[in-house]
Amino acid sequence: MHGNDVALTGVSMRFGDFTAVHPTDLVIRAGEFFSILGPSGCGKTTILRMISGFLDPSSGDIAIGGRSMNGIGPNRRPTALIFQNLALFPLMPVWENVAFGLEARGVKPAERRRRAEELLALVALDGQGHKKPTELSGGQRQRVAVARALAVEPAVLLLDEPLSALDLKLRQHMRAELKDIQRRTGVTFIYITHDQGEALTMSDRIAVMNAGRVEQVGTGDEIYDAPASPFVATFVGEQNAFQGRVAAVAGGIAAVDTALGRLQGRAGDGVAAGDAALLFVRPERVALTGAGDAGGANRIDAEVERRDLEGSFVNLFLRAGQHRIAVHLTNAGAGRDTVAGRHRVGFAPADALVMKAGEVARE
Amino acid sequence: MNELLRTYGRGLTSVFVLLTALWVLGLIVVPQLRMIERAFIVDKRGDEAALVATDIERAYARMFSVDQELLRGGAPAAPSAPSPFAPSPSARSPFAPSPSASGAGGGPAGTDAGRVAALEAEKAELARRIAELEAREAEIKSAGSPGYALGNFTGMSRIHAWIFVSTLFYALCVTVLSFVACYPVAYAVATARTGERLALMMLGLVIPYAINELLRIFSWVMILEKQGILNGVLDALGVIDMGAGEGVRFVASNGAVFVVMVYAYILFMVFPIYNTIETLDRNQIEAARDLGASTWRIHWRVVLPHAKPGIAVGAVMTFMLSAGSIAAPEIVGRGLHPDWFSQVIYRRFFESSNWNQGSAYALVLLVACVVFVMAVMKLFRVGIRDIAK
Repeated sequence: MHGNDVALTGVSMRFGDFTAVHPTDLVIRAGEFFSILGPSGCGKTTILRMISGFLDPSSGDIAIGGRSMNGIGPNRRPTALIFQNLALFPLMPVWENVAFGLEARGVKPAERRRRAEELLALVALDGQGHKKPTELSGGQRQRVAVARALAVEPAVLLLDEPLSALDLKLRQHMRAELKDIQRRTGVTFIYITHDQGEALTMSDRIAVMNAGRVEQVGTGDEIYDAPASPFVATFVGEQNAFQGRVAAVAGGIAAVDTALGRLQGRAGDGVAAGDAALLFVRPERVALTGAGDAGGANRIDAEVERRDLEGSFVNLFLRAGQHRIAVHLTNAGAGRDTVAGRHRVGFAPADALVMKAGEVARE
Repeated sequence: MNELLRTYGRGLTSVFVLLTALWVLGLIVVPQLRMIERAFIVDKRGDEAALVATDIERAYARMFSVDQELLRGGAPAAPSAPSPFAPSPSARSPFAPSPSASGAGGGPAGTDAGRVAALEAEKAELARRIAELEAREAEIKSAGSPGYALGNFTGMSRIHAWIFVSTLFYALCVTVLSFVACYPVAYAVATARTGERLALMMLGLVIPYAINELLRIFSWVMILEKQGILNGVLDALGVIDMGAGEGVRFVASNGAVFVVMVYAYILFMVFPIYNTIETLDRNQIEAARDLGASTWRIHWRVVLPHAKPGIAVGAVMTFMLSAGSIAAPEIVGRGLHPDWFSQVIYRRFFESSNWNQGSAYALVLLVACVVFVMAVMKLFRVGIRDIAK
C-alpha cells in the first residue's frame, strides 16, 4: 500500500443560498496524517464528502495522485471512507465486512477469506472473523472498520470523526493505534475532527476551518503557538484574551491598552498602533509571580475564585476587574498550591500574542 | 393484567376484557369453528336438499314481490335490477300456481280488484308451498343426521383440485410481480428527502387507496377493455387500427387479473418494505458504494437482506389476499380466464348451495396458504420474530 497526494484547487460547495465551503486551495501530501479541525458546521465534512466523491463541488477541481477526480463516482476513486458511526454491515460476519470491497472487485471467495484474515491480523483481531459486528466491543468494531477500508488498498483513507463514540480511555488508545496503522501502511490519512486533542496528537499537519474557510494550515506546534487568526487562537487550546487598543509597536512587541492596564505581546501580522486588538496568552504560560517579584511588564493583581484539580494540572481561575484569568499550574503535590486569596500573576511578552480583533471561537 | 388494573381501574378493565373476549369469541372463534364443523359434515342427500333450499329461496323472493305489488294496490312491480351475484337473472318461479297471476305478462288483467284477489290467492298458495318445502327440508335433515366425515374433502373433483393448485401458483405469481413492482417504489420513497417523500407517498400510494377497491378494479377494466383506453392509445399511436376491428382483448386473461391484483395490493407490499428500508442506516449504502460495490450488489448484499422481514410481511399479505380474492378474477376475468379457487368456493356456497363443501374448500385453501407461507418463510430463513420487529 502507498499513499497519494490530494490537491484541492478552488474547491467550493454551495447548497442553494448557503455556501458550505468557500473556494479553497489545499494540498495534502502523500503519506501524511492530515487533520481537518473545526467546530460542527464549519464545512469539514463537506470537504471530506467531496474528496470521497459523494458530493460534486460547485466549483474547482480535486485531484488525487495528480489525476482529476471530476465525474468519477465514489466507487471508482482510490479513497476509502470510515464513517462516524462506522456503518458496518450488521448482517454479515466480520470477515465478510472486511472482504466486502474485494467481493465488489470480483476476488474469489477463498482469496477474500485469506485477505480478510490478514487484515484482521493487522488490526489485532485475528480469529474474530466469524463473529457478527454486534458481538464486538466499540474499539474492536472501530478496528473492523479500519480493516474494511484498508482492504481495498486505498491511496487515501478518509476518517469522519470515527472516535467520537468511544469513551476517553479507548479514544486515547485508538489514537495511538490509528497513528501506528498509518505509519505502517503509508496510506494518506485525512482525519476530520472537532476534537483539538485528537488533531494535535495524531496529525503531521492540521487545517483549521471556520464557517466554510480554511483559516490556517500547519503543524500542531505552528497552530498552537503561532495561530493565524483570533479564531484559531481561541479554538485550539485554551486562551486568556484581553481586549484593547494598540498603543505602540516596537521591535516586534506590541503594547496594548486594556481594562487591566498596558499589556505587551508579540505583534501578529499587520498589527499597527491604533488598531482594535486582542492579546492572547495561554493559561500554562501565566505564572504566579510570588512575593519576591521584581516587577516588569504584564503584571496583574487578581483574586483566586476557583481551583479545579485536573490531575497532573491544577487550574486556577482568578478575577481581575471584569476579567477572568485562567492559570494552569503543574500539580506539585498535595496542598502546596493552596493559593486562595490575592495574587500577582504575570507572563512574558514573548508568550503573549497580539492580533487584530476578529471572530473568536465560542466557548 | 395487573398493569391494566393499575392503569385503568376495575370498571374500565372489565369493559376492555369483556369487549376483547366478545370480539375473539363472537367474531373469530365461533364462526370459524362453525365453518370447520360444517366442512366435516357430509350432506349425503345434498342434491335434493340443495334443490329444496333453492325452491324455498325462490318462493320467499316471489312472496316479497307479491307483497310489494299488493302494497301498491295491484300495480305490477318494477323489474328489479339483477344482483351482480345472482346465479341467474330474474328467474321465474317454476312453480307459480297460476300464470295469470305472475305479473302483467298476459296483457291487461281485468280490474284492480280482480288483480288484488289474484295476488292474494297467489300469496296464500306461496305460504302453503313454503310451509310444505320447509317441512320437507326438516325431514331431509333429520333423516340424514350425518356424522363427521371427510367426504367434503375427498370428494373434491379432479378439476377443482387442479384449480386449487393453479390458484396457489397464480397467487405466487401475483406476489412475485407485486414485489418486483413495489421494491423500487418502496426504495425510492424510503430514500427520498422528507418533502419529496410525502409528495410521492400521497401521489402514488395514498390517493389511489382513497378509492373503493371495486372502483379501482372497474377502472382497470375500462383500461384493458377491447374498446378500452389501452387499445385507444395503441390506435392513436398507429400500432393497431380500431376502426378495422383490430385490438387486443386484454381483459379476461390471467395476465389482466395479475395486473389488477398487483395494483390492488401494492400498498400491502410497499408499506412493509418501505418501513424496513427506512430503518436502514443510509451510511451503509454509502459505505458499500465507497467500497466499490455496484448498484446491484448494494441492493443484493445490503438493502435486500435488511428489508427481508418487510418483504416477508408484504409477500405473506399479498399472497393471502390474492389467493382469496374474489372480486378481481370475477370482474376482470368474466369467466373467460382460468378459474381461481375462490370462485369455485363462491359457487359452492351460492350456486350449488352446498355450504358444507364450500366450507371444506375454504378450509383447504386457508390451511394450504398457511402451510405454503410457513414453508416459504422457512426457505428464506425469516422467523415470525423478525416479522414482529
